[in-house]
Amino acid sequence: LFHSNNKNSNAILQIHHFFSEYLKDASKKMKSGLMFVKLVNPCSGEGAIYLFDMCLQQLFEIKIFKEKHRSWFINQSVQSEGHLHFATPMDPLFLVLHYLMKADKEGKFQPLDQVVMDDTFPNCTLLLKLPELEKFLGHVTEEKEIDSKKYYKYSKEKTLKWLEKKVNQTMVALKTNKINVGARVQSAVFFPSDQMSSNREEDYIRYAHGLISDYIPKELSDDLSKHLKLSQPSASLAKPSIKDKIKLSDEPVEAKEDYTKFNTKDLKTEKKNSKMTAAQKALAKVDKSGMKSIDRFFGPKSKKKDLKL
Amino acid sequence: MESGDEEATEKHRIHLRPATLRDAAPVTLHLLPCEILANRPAPVGRFFTPAIRQRPAGLEVSFRGRLLRGEKVMVPRGLAGYVMVMDEKAEVLERKYASRGSKNDDEKEQQERPEPMERDFDRFLRATASFASFHLWGLETVPGPDAKVRGALTWPSLAAAIHAQVPED
Repeated sequence: LFHSNNKNSNAILQIHHFFSEYLKDASKKMKSGLMFVKLVNPCSGEGAIYLFDMCLQQLFEIKIFKEKHRSWFINQSVQSEGHLHFATPMDPLFLVLHYLMKADKEGKFQPLDQVVMDDTFPNCTLLLKLPELEKFLGHVTEEKEIDSKKYYKYSKEKTLKWLEKKVNQTMVALKTNKINVGARVQSAVFFPSDQMSSNREEDYIRYAHGLISDYIPKELSDDLSKHLKLSQPSASLAKPSIKDKIKLSDEPVEAKEDYTKFNTKDLKTEKKNSKMTAAQKALAKVDKSGMKSIDRFFGPKSKKKDLKL
Repeated sequence: MESGDEEATEKHRIHLRPATLRDAAPVTLHLLPCEILANRPAPVGRFFTPAIRQRPAGLEVSFRGRLLRGEKVMVPRGLAGYVMVMDEKAEVLERKYASRGSKNDDEKEQQERPEPMERDFDRFLRATASFASFHLWGLETVPGPDAKVRGALTWPSLAAAIHAQVPED
């Protein structure tokens, strides 16, 4: 998709059905409205690629599946990188929350357009064009209205409640999709439902907490863990150098996206991979019972034989 | 993105041409279990495709002397697959932007009127093909349900739950 130094490169993009629906309606006059921009990753603070659909007024997250030693044949051509890009709808509140928490250091109520500002990622103002956004701000802020202008202030208490709901609905999806969240399972295979019972409720909460933690800063993830009454791992272990290490993923724009979700080799064979997000790193060190969620979710069972040609 | 315009990267937008999604023709895709260090046209239809055999255990093909076993993987419901390419035009636009005068002029301009969605320095991406399935190949063994790609393909349904709006109290 964004392969550097190769303008002819093909890449694969999986687009959510919102797109297909959108396409049916797309008229010829529609010249633009779909664009990839770089915004802050609310977990790591680094840049990541997102997709805006200004017509549907929907934000999409881009995840890249990367596996070593994979290439594509695309019709009558070869593409060396066997990548698969996923564009899935994203709750913009995670991104706005990042700015609300930052602005909270000033400790006052502020209009949203003064909160969502970023010299590094100026495209963040596109978030303000999402019409639904204001409706949901109440999940994470206290509101004041003065002269029919609204002012917001981050509320940790409300945010934790909101995140708890997120965890709950994610748990439901984990169960529906029969995703094995058990602690000591070696395989990434999805188990038939009779074996599912071995998944304890707390494993689901941990797993869901891990997934949500990829969209919030580490400290909030810790608070959420307490709020959910998950047994506290001695998390401080991994803390100090995380920020610095994340900087290592300072590659061209496309590489700044957090690949670790899909790039499971990192997990199994290169646990200290610098591309892991802060939360993932911390979690990887302290607890292996289901918190690293997405990584494990995509984890390979065994190392497949590779073929170099 | 090209290296060299690293500084400007953060404000860049890459527009996806919507019409190309609508018109994208179906494509045949093979995800191979090896790295081929090339990005260029290849006679896939002459050497690879005709060698594919349907066996009881699945598909088989011999590629550069190695046995590959494969299977068809459907794109999950609710998803559509596209092959995308960055437009070459971008370079021309870059130059145009550079010749437009000093940075200050641009800043002034931005203050004076609302910024358009497409700017001269933006780049464009288009879909060249679409797909609803692809062939996944493993070295000597069928990739099977453990294949990492299969795990990845379940991500969208999980992402949907993570990003769905929460119920009100």
